[in-house]
Amino acid sequence: MNRDSAKPLPYSDERHQAAHQFLVEEAALLDAADYHGWLHLLTDDISYVMPVRVTTARGAGFDSLDGMGHFDEDMYSLRKRVQRLDTEHAWTEDPPSRTRHFVSNVRTFATGEADLVVESALLLFRSRGDTREADLLSAGRTDLLRQTDAGLRLARREINVDESVLRTQNLAVFL
Amino acid sequence: MIDLPAVLADVGRGMIPAHIYNDQEIFALERDRLFSRAWVFLAHESEIPAPGDYVVRRVLADSFIVVRDESGMVRVMFNMCLHKGMQVCRAEMGNASHFRCPYHAWTYRNDGRLAGLPFHVDAYGGDEGLVRKGQALLPAPSMDSYNGLIFISLRDDAPPLRDWLGDFAFYLDLYTRQSPAGVELRGPQRWRVRANWKIGAENFAGDSYHTPHTHASVVDIGLFREPKASKRKEGALYLAGPGAGTTYKLPPGGSFGEQLRYVGYPDEMVAAMASTWSAGQRGLVEQSGFMVSAATLFPNLSFVHNWPVVDETGAVVPFVSLRQWQPVSERETEVLSWFAVDAAAPAAFKRQSYRAYLMCFGSSGMFEQDDVENWVSITDMAGGSMARRLLLNSRMGLTLGGDPIKPPLATFSGPGVAYQGFGEFNQRHWLSMWSSHLKDGAW
Repeated sequence: MNRDSAKPLPYSDERHQAAHQFLVEEAALLDAADYHGWLHLLTDDISYVMPVRVTTARGAGFDSLDGMGHFDEDMYSLRKRVQRLDTEHAWTEDPPSRTRHFVSNVRTFATGEADLVVESALLLFRSRGDTREADLLSAGRTDLLRQTDAGLRLARREINVDESVLRTQNLAVFL
Repeated sequence: MIDLPAVLADVGRGMIPAHIYNDQEIFALERDRLFSRAWVFLAHESEIPAPGDYVVRRVLADSFIVVRDESGMVRVMFNMCLHKGMQVCRAEMGNASHFRCPYHAWTYRNDGRLAGLPFHVDAYGGDEGLVRKGQALLPAPSMDSYNGLIFISLRDDAPPLRDWLGDFAFYLDLYTRQSPAGVELRGPQRWRVRANWKIGAENFAGDSYHTPHTHASVVDIGLFREPKASKRKEGALYLAGPGAGTTYKLPPGGSFGEQLRYVGYPDEMVAAMASTWSAGQRGLVEQSGFMVSAATLFPNLSFVHNWPVVDETGAVVPFVSLRQWQPVSERETEVLSWFAVDAAAPAAFKRQSYRAYLMCFGSSGMFEQDDVENWVSITDMAGGSMARRLLLNSRMGLTLGGDPIKPPLATFSGPGVAYQGFGEFNQRHWLSMWSSHLKDGAW
């Protein structure tokens, strides 16, 4: 995702504040399991990817797999995932997980157009039932936020998870 | 102490002591008597195409480097330095001409031979104290491959892999040899689930009965046409050699090409399968009218082939996945899940098939999500006291007297034994191999 400069916008910049607020509101929707509301925050040409991270030697030049992700989604597949959670048969989320999306380290970059590139850190806490230990997923995210008539919308998201072996039973959740 | 003969006797009659799905003693026996000898999958040759390419994989606690050496030969070496035992490779993949131990810098060529060590003369008096020649990382006791799938066994005298695969090779080809180019693997996605490793292996071997209910949601949303109970019970279950699997019944009367196009294969891939597969393999699709779906090769490598709807236009695209249930403990399993596709497939098909895989299986797959929920819950319950009083009924398909309710299919274009409809023949087949290993380690 192209950005104007390596330097993020100052925190006082209204564009940064709007981007930060977008991410916090998005997290609130996800924690409230308002997945249809969440879909409304995405552009129709959304690209939502989460590469598989791997352990490689320093200097190897790569630390994620080529051609394999945990997610590589477009609007069709994201809609299907949300529709599935609407059914009475999505057992892995019934009873639902308790989640909290902690969003921090937000840095906003101008792109030369109205779009913004936003980096953030995400810590996802996920708790299920009463006997299992809770899961934690830590990730960096790089987003492209597009200015639309309806306001900022998410057009691209790359989730850079900080584990090579995920410690959660599945990704029936969004990051 | 468990009463092993009693446990195995119960397993033998299809009444499974629930605690075997979360039991430290059983897990120790599995380590010592099963994983100490069985052929276990490690990697596919397409993951290490060039000299020096390597991946690091495990068999339980043992870490192995799977590497293509400078001459192009695939080698599997125990990832432990000969001197003080440090892992000589701590990355999980990459390319290296040598592996250098970080501790004292003993350095090995990528064929395992010791290339050098610091101060050989000063520290050891040269070859007088340590003969460098002949020193090499420990090779896997046995190693063999089939269709590029690399397996090792921790026994020195393992039978040839092809002999051991026996009749299952016929089915293995359907997943991993759709053209002379063979299959290429991408991945794996890796994640840990708090479930016993046997549950997934048994499920993929033959549990067509769970599909209509566990996976009802993917039918509800129109992602996959087939799992409805009315269709699923028409499928055949086969058991062959050390493997077993499930199939779906195809629409009646279709030619080989029509059936493969029905599940979404493009014409060039249909042509490749027609010329690559044997008459029997083609007949499974055409005369018998079955398409392979899930399968397990004992002990812990499973396969799946499904054909979901991948876009708004209703296009159906098939995918193949290989997955390994890597035991961590009696109650935790690392899942390694690869996307597999014919290496000669068109690029557009590869892309679509990959997306089909992600929607259905793997860490985010909409089928797999609900499977794992079941397996975690079973494992949780199996660790308590009451589970020691409960025998799980795995006798589906048998009368009380122990005879099959329906006879095997008389005309099934594949080796082994096949039954149409629901039944737990395959899970019992898998468990019988498990029992044979645990009984005395001999099978």
